[in-house]
Amino acid sequence: MNGFAAAAPLLVITGAALAVLLLEAFVNKSNKNYLAILSLIFLSICALFCARSWNAGLAYFNGMLRLDNLSLILIALFLITTAFVILIGMKYFSARALNGGEFYGLLLLALSGLIIMVTSLNLIVIFLGLEVLSVASYALAGLNLRDSKSAEAAIKYFMMGCFAGAFLVFGLALVFGTVRSIDIPDIIAFLGAASGPPVLGLIGLGLIISGFAFKIAIVPFHMWAPDVYEGAPTPVTTFFVVGPKAAGFAVLFRMLVPLWKESSRSGSIFDFLWALSALTMIVGSLIALRQKNIKRLFAYSSIVHSGYLLIAILSGDGTGLVFFMAVYLFMSVGAFGSLIALSYKDREYGDLSDFAGIGFKYPWIGALFTVFLVSLAGFPPTGGFLAKFYIFVGAVRQGLTPLVLIGVLASLISAYYYLRIVAYMYMREPINDIEIEMENPALFLVLFLCLFGVLQLGLFPGNVLYIIKQAVASLVGF
Amino acid sequence: MSQPILSLVIFLPLAAALLMIFLPKDNKNLLYGFALAVTVVTFALSLFLFFGFDVRTGGPQFVEQAAWLGDGLQYHVGIDGISLFLVLLTTFLMPLALMSSWSSIRDKIKEYLVFMLVLETGIIGVFAALNLFLFYVFWEAMLIPMYFLIGVWGGKRRVYATTKFILFTMLGSLLMLVAIFALYSHFHEATGAYSLNLFDLYKVPIDPKVQSWLFLAFALAFAIKVPIFPFHTWLPDAHVEAPTAGSVFLAAVLLKMGAYGFLRFAIPLFPNAVEKFLPILAVLSIIGIIYGGLMALVQKDIKSLVAYSSVSHMGLIMLALLSLNVEGTVGSVFQMLNHGLSTGALFLIVGILYERAHSRQIKDFGGVSRPMPVLSVFFLIAMLSSMGLPGLNGFVGEITCFFGIFTANKVYAVLGLTTVILTAAYLLWMFQRVMQGPVANERISSFRDMNKREITYLIPIIILMFWMGLYPQTFIRKIEPSVVQYISLIKNDRRVIVHKAAGLPVKWGLRQKDNKAR
Repeated sequence: MNGFAAAAPLLVITGAALAVLLLEAFVNKSNKNYLAILSLIFLSICALFCARSWNAGLAYFNGMLRLDNLSLILIALFLITTAFVILIGMKYFSARALNGGEFYGLLLLALSGLIIMVTSLNLIVIFLGLEVLSVASYALAGLNLRDSKSAEAAIKYFMMGCFAGAFLVFGLALVFGTVRSIDIPDIIAFLGAASGPPVLGLIGLGLIISGFAFKIAIVPFHMWAPDVYEGAPTPVTTFFVVGPKAAGFAVLFRMLVPLWKESSRSGSIFDFLWALSALTMIVGSLIALRQKNIKRLFAYSSIVHSGYLLIAILSGDGTGLVFFMAVYLFMSVGAFGSLIALSYKDREYGDLSDFAGIGFKYPWIGALFTVFLVSLAGFPPTGGFLAKFYIFVGAVRQGLTPLVLIGVLASLISAYYYLRIVAYMYMREPINDIEIEMENPALFLVLFLCLFGVLQLGLFPGNVLYIIKQAVASLVGF
Repeated sequence: MSQPILSLVIFLPLAAALLMIFLPKDNKNLLYGFALAVTVVTFALSLFLFFGFDVRTGGPQFVEQAAWLGDGLQYHVGIDGISLFLVLLTTFLMPLALMSSWSSIRDKIKEYLVFMLVLETGIIGVFAALNLFLFYVFWEAMLIPMYFLIGVWGGKRRVYATTKFILFTMLGSLLMLVAIFALYSHFHEATGAYSLNLFDLYKVPIDPKVQSWLFLAFALAFAIKVPIFPFHTWLPDAHVEAPTAGSVFLAAVLLKMGAYGFLRFAIPLFPNAVEKFLPILAVLSIIGIIYGGLMALVQKDIKSLVAYSSVSHMGLIMLALLSLNVEGTVGSVFQMLNHGLSTGALFLIVGILYERAHSRQIKDFGGVSRPMPVLSVFFLIAMLSSMGLPGLNGFVGEITCFFGIFTANKVYAVLGLTTVILTAAYLLWMFQRVMQGPVANERISSFRDMNKREITYLIPIIILMFWMGLYPQTFIRKIEPSVVQYISLIKNDRRVIVHKAAGLPVKWGLRQKDNKAR
C-alpha cells in the first residue's frame, strides 16, 4: 500500500484529465468554467498527496517511480503553473468563442507527462512521460482553430518533437547496447567508471541530451520555439515556457550532475554542454534584440534563460537550478498574464509599437508588467536578480567564470530588450485607442500572486530556499 | 543604538512611495504636500545621525545588522564620517528638488513623486550599506527610478539618453557583480566561512594577479559612474535630457556614488592593484579635468556646460582621492559635498531660466540680470562657489585637495590646477553672455524674477555654501577621524608579500585560525 502512494499524484492527475475530457464530451453545457473549477480541485487534491509524501522517500514499481523531495518540489511547481495557466485561460478561451473544455483536459494530460518525467530514474519511463507531454502539447498548440498561425505552430511542434523523440530513442538504444541498463544510476556508474568510456555510449548520451535540448529550447535545437510560442494561444505558451523546460532540466540534472561527480567535470559531454550554454546565451540574446513581436521576443528571452539554467547544470548547483525555476515560473506567468490582460476581444497586443503609452493608460497592468520585465532582466530587489545571483555564484565557485561573464553580458543585452518594452509603455504617446476588457478577476488574482511571488522570492526567500536546499541535499549520489 | 534611525532614514521614503500609490492622482497639492512632508521628515531624521555622531571614532556608527538571506548575504548598514555627509546631502537636496519640480513637472505627478522617493531610498542605501551584496542591491535598484525619471519626464531625446545611461551603468556594474562573486568564493576558500561583510573582506589578502582583475572590474563600474574620461559619454546626454530635479540628483549625488565606491570598496579592497593602476587612473582623471573644462568652454547649451563642468570637477575629486593621504582624501570628500551643492544650485538655476525662456541656448539670453536681479545674485554665488572663491565652500575643498595632491605628486598637482583657470573661464564667460550686457530681446525684459518658492529652495543651499566656506570645522571634524582610519587601513601593509624563493604569495594560515576562533 505504501508503494501505491508514490503513484498517487500521477493517478489523481491522470484521472482528472480523463474525467475532464469525458465530461467535456458528454455534458452539453456552453459555459466551461465548471471544468476549470473541477481541474483546480483535482490539482489541490494532488498537492495534498504531495505534501503528505514529503520526506517519505516513496517508490513504486521496483523504483520506476520514486517520489523523492526534489520531484515533490518540482511537482509542486508544475501544479502551481497549471493552476495559474487554467486561471488565466478561463476568460481567454471563452472570449474567443473557442472550446475551452479540451484545453483543461489536455493541460492536465500534459501535466501528468511532466510528473512522470520528474519522478523516474529510468530513461524509458522518462521517455514515456515526455511522449505523453508532447502529444498533449501538440494538440494544445493548435487549439486556436481559427488562426492559421496556431495550426502552423502545432505542426511545427509536432515535426520537431518527432525528430527530437527519434534522437532520444536512438540514443537510448546505443546507451542500452553499451551499458545493458536503462537506469540513470547504472549508466552514470558505467560511463564514469570505465577508463575511456566507450564511444558508442558517449554518442548515445549525446543524442539523449540533444533530444532533451529540443524540449528545453537550447541553441541550436531552438528553431521551433519562436514559431510555436508565437502561434500557440497565449495561456498555452505560458505553460510551454515553464513546464516542459523545468521538467527537461530536472532530467538533465539527475542524469548529468552525478556524471560530473564521477568524471570530475572533464570530458566531451561537459565541454559539449559548456559550448551549448555559451551559444544559447549569445545567439538567443542577439536575436532577441531584433524582435518586434512580443511573443517572439519572449521566446528568445526564454531561450536565453535556458542558457542560464545550463550554467547551473554545469556547476551542479541544484539549489540554484530549482530556485531559478521557481522564480522563473512567477515572472514568466506574470509577463504572459500581463499580455493576456492587454488583449481585447480576439486580438492581442503583439507588436512592440502596440504598447506605446499604455503604461499610463492602464496603470495597474503597466506597473505589474514592468515589475515582471524588470525581474526577467534581473534587477534587484526582484526574484530574477537573486535567481541569477545564486546560479552565477555557484558557477564562479566551480571555476566557470568565463561562462558567467558571457551570462552577465547576456543579462546586459536582456536589460536592453526588456527595458525597451518599458520604454514603449511609458515613454511614448499612445497610438491606438482600443479599450481593453478589464473584467477578469481570475487573471488579476494570478497577476497579483505572481507579483507576490517575484517580490517574496527576491526579498525574503528564506523558507523557500531552505526547503529547496533540504531537498537537494537529501538526494542520493549528488 | 536602540532605535533603528538609519534604517528609518533609508526606508521611510520607500514606505511613503508605496503609500502614495493609493493617493488620488489629480490632487496636486496633496501629492506634493505629502512627498515634501516625507522628505522633510527624512531630513530631520537624518539630522539625528548628524547630532548623534560620535567624532571620537572613525569606524561605522548606527550599525544595524540582520541575517537576511544567510550565508554572508546580510543586511548590514552603518555610516562613518564619510558616508554621513553623503547621506545628509541626499536627504537635504531631496525636498529642495521636489520644491523645484512644482512648476516644471505638470503631468503624471504621482508617478514622478513615487520614483523620486524610491530613488532617495536607493541612494541612501548605497551610502549606508556595509555588506557588498546589500550595496549591489541598492546600487542596481536605484537605476530603475532614474531610468523612469529621465525617460518619462525628460527632454526630446530622453529615451536615447536614458537607455544609454542605464546600459553604460549596467555594463560596469555587472562586471563588478562577477568580481563580487569571485570575492565571495575567495573568502570562502580562505576562511571556510561565508561573508560579504566589508570589514571581513578587508582582512583577507588576495593574490596580486587576481587583485588586478577584480580591481579592474570594480574600477570600471565606478569609473563609469564618476565618470572618469573616457567613460563619461553617457553623462552629457543624461544630464541635458533629464528634468531639473533629475539633473540635480545625477550631478549632486549619483556621481558621488562612483567616487564613494572607489573610496570604500575598490581602493581598500585591492591595495596591490591600486599601486599598479594608480598612475593610469590619475592620468585619466587629469585628462578628465582638462577635457571636461575645454568642452564646457565651447558648449552652446547652459545645461550641458554645467554637465561638462561636472566631468572636470569630478576629475579633481578623483585625483585628490588617489593621493591616498589624509589631506587629499578629506579634501576629496569635502569637495564631493561642495560639488553637490554648487552643481545642484547651478542646475536649479538653469531650470528656473528654462521655465522662463523655454530655451537653454546661451545665444537666446543676454542681460537677464536686469529683469531678474535676485536670480543674478544667487547665480553669482553658486558660480563663485563652483569656482572656489575664498569665503565660499569651494575654496576650502579645492585647497585641501591640492594640499593632498601636492604631497603625493607635484606634477599631478600642477596639471590639476588647470581646473581653477578653466572653471573660472567657462563659468564667467557664460555668466557674462547670459546675465550681463544689454537685454538681448523683448521676451527677456518680461521675465519675472524668482518667486518665493524658488527663493525658498535656493536659500538653504546658499547658507550652507557660506557655512562650509567660513566654518568648515563643523564638517571636517566629523569627516577626519574616518579618513584617518581609512588611510591607516590602506597604508598598513596588508599587501600580499611575495616569497622571493618560491614566487608564491604568503597564504593566510594565521588568519584562518583567528577567523575560526571567532
